[in-house]
Amino acid sequence: MAEEGVGALLRGKLPDAVLTVEPFDGTLGRVTFAPSHALEVFRAVRDDLGFAHLSFVGGIDWVAEREVVYLLWSDERKAYLLLSTRLDAKDAHVESATPLWPSANWHEREAWEMVDITFDHHPDLRHLLMPDGYAFHPLLRSFKLHEPEELEVKTRRV
Amino acid sequence: MWINMGPQHPMTHGLWNLRVKIDGEIVRDIDPEMGYLHRGIEKISEDRHYNEIITLMDRTCYVAGIAWEHLYIQAAEKALHVVPPERTLYLRVLVEEMQRLASHIMWYAAFVQDLGLMSPFLYGMRDRDLLLDHFQSFTGGRLTYEYMRVGGVRNDLPPGTTDRIRKTMDWLMDRFAEYDRLCLGSQIFRTRCDDLGVLKAKDCVTYGVTGPMLRAAGVKRDLRKDRPYAAYDRLEFDIALADTADVTARYLVRMEEMRQSVRIIRQVVDWLDHHPGPVMAANVPRWLGAPYAPIGHEGYLLKRHYSKGVGLSAIEEPHGEATAYVVNEGGEHPYRVKFRSPVFVNLSAAKSYLVGYHVADIPPIMGSVDVCVGEVDR
Amino acid sequence: MSVQSLYGVASLIATTLASLVPGVPGYLVTLLADLIFGAILLAASMINTIVLIWYERKLLGRFMDRRGAMHVGYAGLLQNFADGLKLFRKNTYMPSEADRLGFYTGPTAYMVSSLVIFGVLPISTGWDNGSLPLSLLLALVIFSFAPLFIFISAWSSNNKYSLMGGMRSAAQMIAYEVPILIAVVAVVVVSGSFDLTTIVMEQQNYWFAIPLVLALIVFVAGMLAEMERIPFDLPEAEAELVEGWNTEYGGMLFAFFMLADYLRALIGSILIVLLFLGGWTLPTYVPSALTNFPLAGIFWFMVKTYLVFGVFVWVRASLPRVRTDQLLRVGWLRMVPLALASVVLAAALVVVKCLPLIGCVPGIGS
Repeated sequence: MAEEGVGALLRGKLPDAVLTVEPFDGTLGRVTFAPSHALEVFRAVRDDLGFAHLSFVGGIDWVAEREVVYLLWSDERKAYLLLSTRLDAKDAHVESATPLWPSANWHEREAWEMVDITFDHHPDLRHLLMPDGYAFHPLLRSFKLHEPEELEVKTRRV
Repeated sequence: MWINMGPQHPMTHGLWNLRVKIDGEIVRDIDPEMGYLHRGIEKISEDRHYNEIITLMDRTCYVAGIAWEHLYIQAAEKALHVVPPERTLYLRVLVEEMQRLASHIMWYAAFVQDLGLMSPFLYGMRDRDLLLDHFQSFTGGRLTYEYMRVGGVRNDLPPGTTDRIRKTMDWLMDRFAEYDRLCLGSQIFRTRCDDLGVLKAKDCVTYGVTGPMLRAAGVKRDLRKDRPYAAYDRLEFDIALADTADVTARYLVRMEEMRQSVRIIRQVVDWLDHHPGPVMAANVPRWLGAPYAPIGHEGYLLKRHYSKGVGLSAIEEPHGEATAYVVNEGGEHPYRVKFRSPVFVNLSAAKSYLVGYHVADIPPIMGSVDVCVGEVDR
Repeated sequence: MSVQSLYGVASLIATTLASLVPGVPGYLVTLLADLIFGAILLAASMINTIVLIWYERKLLGRFMDRRGAMHVGYAGLLQNFADGLKLFRKNTYMPSEADRLGFYTGPTAYMVSSLVIFGVLPISTGWDNGSLPLSLLLALVIFSFAPLFIFISAWSSNNKYSLMGGMRSAAQMIAYEVPILIAVVAVVVVSGSFDLTTIVMEQQNYWFAIPLVLALIVFVAGMLAEMERIPFDLPEAEAELVEGWNTEYGGMLFAFFMLADYLRALIGSILIVLLFLGGWTLPTYVPSALTNFPLAGIFWFMVKTYLVFGVFVWVRASLPRVRTDQLLRVGWLRMVPLALASVVLAAALVVVKCLPLIGCVPGIGS
């Protein structure tokens, strides 16, 4: 029942912003929204739907696109809601959720340094886990740890 | 004056740096610097088979390894469409609660040590050892267990374990009373901890703080109750709550949680005694695949399950709400693994509960947060 | 100083020397005897300190449900000698920006000033330093040098933690110096003397701990703060200040601090025994068999001292640390009034000359 409920509610409120609503196991659904409408979606989700707790913000690199996933929790509904938005890899930036949910602060810093997603209007976007000035973005698919062959144990004795 | 508390500092309990701006003995500003323990677990996971990630989970939080295994396994099972048998769910609850006990006892030991109480530190380590002995008896490990598998757990309990666990639980219940006498019965403890590091319920929710810190502020949120996973919906327990939101309240919440854990464990071992059954889902290979073994090798796992999927799981880890997000795009390795560490978020709110207190208050406050840097940096 | 003015053991050494090597001028004999006596005292105090550390480790181990040192020597008795040897062989490093003079003189002076006090403390009849009418005052004066040296070494370490520890230490020691001195005044009022030997002799009939229990409490609490032991060890609170004022010290200089801390703990226990627990004497009504054996005085003295120190260890095992502002508040607002009250009580006692339980004592306040 509630599976479609929240997503549909959101779609009714912001028809332009919400792209797709699909069921997602263990949550009230997965709502994909257009990155240009991020702030409206955040406001609607937090203030109107009551998802006061932002669990995490995570970035996923789909090579051509980058996805930002937001997991939200509502104490009234006692359930999660998954938000997701897809950004162009060449110009990956989205409005920061930190002004609304301060808990997004470090998650966005991490996503910025790991997956190279810029969060506009983030108060403090600097390196968190990596040293300052670190030039790479480790969680991009283009960042290879090693080829499997390199790890093969040389069994032949010299 | 800025001072660096860390990365080598007795307060940190791990490797991180708390930069503190002090005015006399008063904390004016802080700036946590993380990343000293960053091992790139999320990245390494992209290069590993699903079962091989379990070993990384043990190292994510080194005092609550099995809770993290549980978290990951649930997400991976959803992503891979595997359903574990029922007995496994109870076994997982058993080990998670035992891990919660071990983690909380470890927390107690470290926390009182930060306050200068020396004896309870060793009492805590002594009692935690009993739990580690149990873990050793059926997982083989004392710190890194590698007990859970996609589709179940590695092995069932050896005979007699449930009775031994019952005995340990009785012993621990007596010890908890002793812990309380040593702390709550001490006037100095109360003057040190009351009204310290206050983070009210409203701020807790805003900053995303979870776990005992949140419940110490009076917010009744516990994923074991609110969003039951494994076998928690079939077990009786209460959510530990306090309302003063200070260090004492966090102490009380954790103590009560330990008692509730004992209560859960007693129910679980009773259930386990009467419901024998398989501990692995059928048709899921039992053993870890050797790295890069040729296809067709018997240990080469989960070939059948490579349909795509995304798994999300959330558990009430000893430190708070932990979530895992596993993307399976087919292929041998997960496409992306994202973990939410509760301490990561609790620590990001540090400014709101540290500023304005004394330098001497930093260790007890951070102790009450229960920092585990392994899972913050991952 | 002539041979005659030396007391007990020192004069024994002097007469032995004079008989062994006749014809040596008297002042040389006295000097030599003093030196030998001093060396004996030094060795005794150092060995006692090391045994004290062992005693604390064992006792603390038992409180903590473990065994303490147990591998080197019988029951680990030699463990501390091994540890000392290890520290002795270590390199001593100094931070490059530290002040050389202060960095080295601080721990040395701290150690020496603590050792000097042993020359003032009477241990038993014959084992004292001669007639020093103000020996109690002298001991307390030297005892209170410590914050100065601690602060010198803390400041010259050029480390923020050291500096904070040094500041805390100075504030704490000065704050607790006051109630200690006032509590001592109570003892002086009752015994009528600043001489430690006289104070002990005054306690033949009853220990001052009984009538002056208030002063005893203040003194013990103050001594805990002066020794910087747990509940009051915040100058070296390792949780927040790493090691406090001795953060930058390693090797032998650290050993100096460590030893001096235990020396001071020993001195504190000795002072409590001397001032409140009758020193080397036992009350006159105990069976004489208990006091009628060789070195009985030293034996009972050591037993009492170690018991008092055991109480300190017990406190350490069971109490958390307080915070600086709480400590200072307790010091100024609770300890000082309590100490003053104890002086008033002592004065009243001298006037009334009667005790509720013991009855009227003719010798009191004479």
